[in-house]
Amino acid sequence: MNPRTLVLLLSAVLAGALSTACSRKSPAGAEAGPGTRYTVVFSQCNNAEPYRAAQNAQMERLWGAQKDVHLVIMDAQQDSAKQIGQIETAIRMRPNLLIVAPNERAPLTEVMGRAMRAGIPVICLERDIVQPNYTTWIRSDNRAIGRLAGEFILEYLKKKHGAPRGRIVEISGLKGVEGEISRYGGAHDVWDKYPDIKIVANPVANWLQSLAKDRMSEVLSAVPEIDVVYGHNDPMAMGAYLAAREKGREKEMIFVGVDGLSGDAGGIKKVKEGLLAATFVYPLCVDKAVEIGTRILRQPDFKPEPVYMMESRLVTAENAAKIDGQ
Amino acid sequence: MPSRVWNYFRHHGRPFLGLALVFALGVVFSPRDYAGNLIFLSVGNLTDVLLQQSEIGIIALAMTLVIIGAGIDLSVGSVLACSASMAALLLVRWTPGLAVGPQMAVAAGAALLTGATIGAVNGLVITRLGLQAFVMTLATMIGVRGLTRWLTGNTNIDFGFGEMASARFSALFSHKPSVIIVWVLLAIVAHLVLTRTIFGRYLRAIGENEQAAIYTGLPVRTIRFVAYTACGGLAALAGLIHAARSHQGNPNDGVAYELDAIAAVVIGGTALAGGQGTIVGTVTGTLILGLLTNMLRLRMIDSNLELMIKAVIIIVAVWLQRRDRASNSSL
Repeated sequence: MNPRTLVLLLSAVLAGALSTACSRKSPAGAEAGPGTRYTVVFSQCNNAEPYRAAQNAQMERLWGAQKDVHLVIMDAQQDSAKQIGQIETAIRMRPNLLIVAPNERAPLTEVMGRAMRAGIPVICLERDIVQPNYTTWIRSDNRAIGRLAGEFILEYLKKKHGAPRGRIVEISGLKGVEGEISRYGGAHDVWDKYPDIKIVANPVANWLQSLAKDRMSEVLSAVPEIDVVYGHNDPMAMGAYLAAREKGREKEMIFVGVDGLSGDAGGIKKVKEGLLAATFVYPLCVDKAVEIGTRILRQPDFKPEPVYMMESRLVTAENAAKIDGQ
Repeated sequence: MPSRVWNYFRHHGRPFLGLALVFALGVVFSPRDYAGNLIFLSVGNLTDVLLQQSEIGIIALAMTLVIIGAGIDLSVGSVLACSASMAALLLVRWTPGLAVGPQMAVAAGAALLTGATIGAVNGLVITRLGLQAFVMTLATMIGVRGLTRWLTGNTNIDFGFGEMASARFSALFSHKPSVIIVWVLLAIVAHLVLTRTIFGRYLRAIGENEQAAIYTGLPVRTIRFVAYTACGGLAALAGLIHAARSHQGNPNDGVAYELDAIAAVVIGGTALAGGQGTIVGTVTGTLILGLLTNMLRLRMIDSNLELMIKAVIIIVAVWLQRRDRASNSSL
């Protein structure tokens, strides 16, 4: 094969790929199609989680309603180094607004600061970072959600045993991120007062259902009696449920998750089906982000608050249908 | 002199052609900024690419040496994570009351030493116990990952901001010009080692035909041992840059970095069978991958498509090598 053929072959592949991708969506940046006045980049830490997919869908729907806004979603695939690289490239594109759902606190802090210094307004979505390198932070209170979950589980144990005692398996999300620290800390704010409430296992499953199922299978082999499984998100609670069901032990314990998404894969449906005993709505924060983002784009004088806090709520079999309807 | 350059290009030119091609496509498809300039060509963007590729680029230099010697090192990703975590432990958790400078030096030194030691263990077992490189480094890849998670309790160690050692370390080891210069210097050294030293000649001879090298009385074990040790050391250096850039030591980072490094080496024209290959090719291969990623990101193209395109490029590159070798042997 001579070099000319190689050039032709590679060009064909690349050009083909580029043009397909470009024709599907109008290009970003200053070149965005006619009628586009604003480019919004949403740097998403991991499309693969249902919570993130729900965020993306709502982003696309809400920004899509504004015809002069071009939204680009970048998926960092749960890799902080990749997310840094993507944001570095985004900075070169000079978007009108950068929304970041950080994969981890420390790694993303510096690069978000660089975006700010480049004059790009930055909305930090849901997770925090080490320094306030953002124009505004739209957050939910994971610590409060953790406390709500802790209290729900405490009440369940009191009812089951007639006293505040019981054996809990707690399945942690990705270590070191705010969501994991706070959902753990909030629940322990409640439980640590009761010495007879025991955490019999605390495996780490990085927010993923598949990992949680594997870890829970191990826990089930090692631990004879379990009252409650508390997953830091619904997919992990569901992974634990699936593992317990495989061993025929799903009736022995209840499963509690967090996130409370609607839709087929969401936790609310699992509560309706009776698989999860409860879940806690972790707000997507997207509606607020689009509202504030729109004002940042269109009202030059608008000064957002440094922090906007979104509220959570408990979902049980009693109110699941009602909440899902909203 | 011009004829020497021409000869070099005739024999090793293919990666350059690929680089030129990717660069040209990058220019053609580059979006423009508000002043009408091509973003792809801006100095800021191109140096971003160099910085982003520096970790893989540095690992790939040593990987080239190992592969030319007909070996492979799958442990580099785990070594990178181990080095990053080790540095983080010594910068954040260790409070010896040292001044910032010495603490940084100890942390960096210990991390590099750990990496080189792991590389040396690879080298020793492969050359003395005769284990296949693939098997041995697969074992260290798994074992070092476990060691790193155990050392850190499977948590990330964040560096923080301010004047403490960890924050200063982070600023120093992710300083864009310094990182790029270190990579370039290392590439020059590796190139000279491979082309101008006895070590380089022996290494190629070993990769070309190990039996012949043994019968000729070449120090086969020593040469291989040095290559693996260097590979561990450079993977650890990449780990320091990684920790600084991501502002933390993360025991779960660096997964599949060995494959990215091997891809860069292979695209650069180095034969996996050993014996043939150049550092210039490897640097070119690293840049091809980096520019490709950058070009697609500037176009905001789905990152999964990026992976598919990389796959095609790897296949084409290796296929060309195979054809070249086939046509050489038929001559």
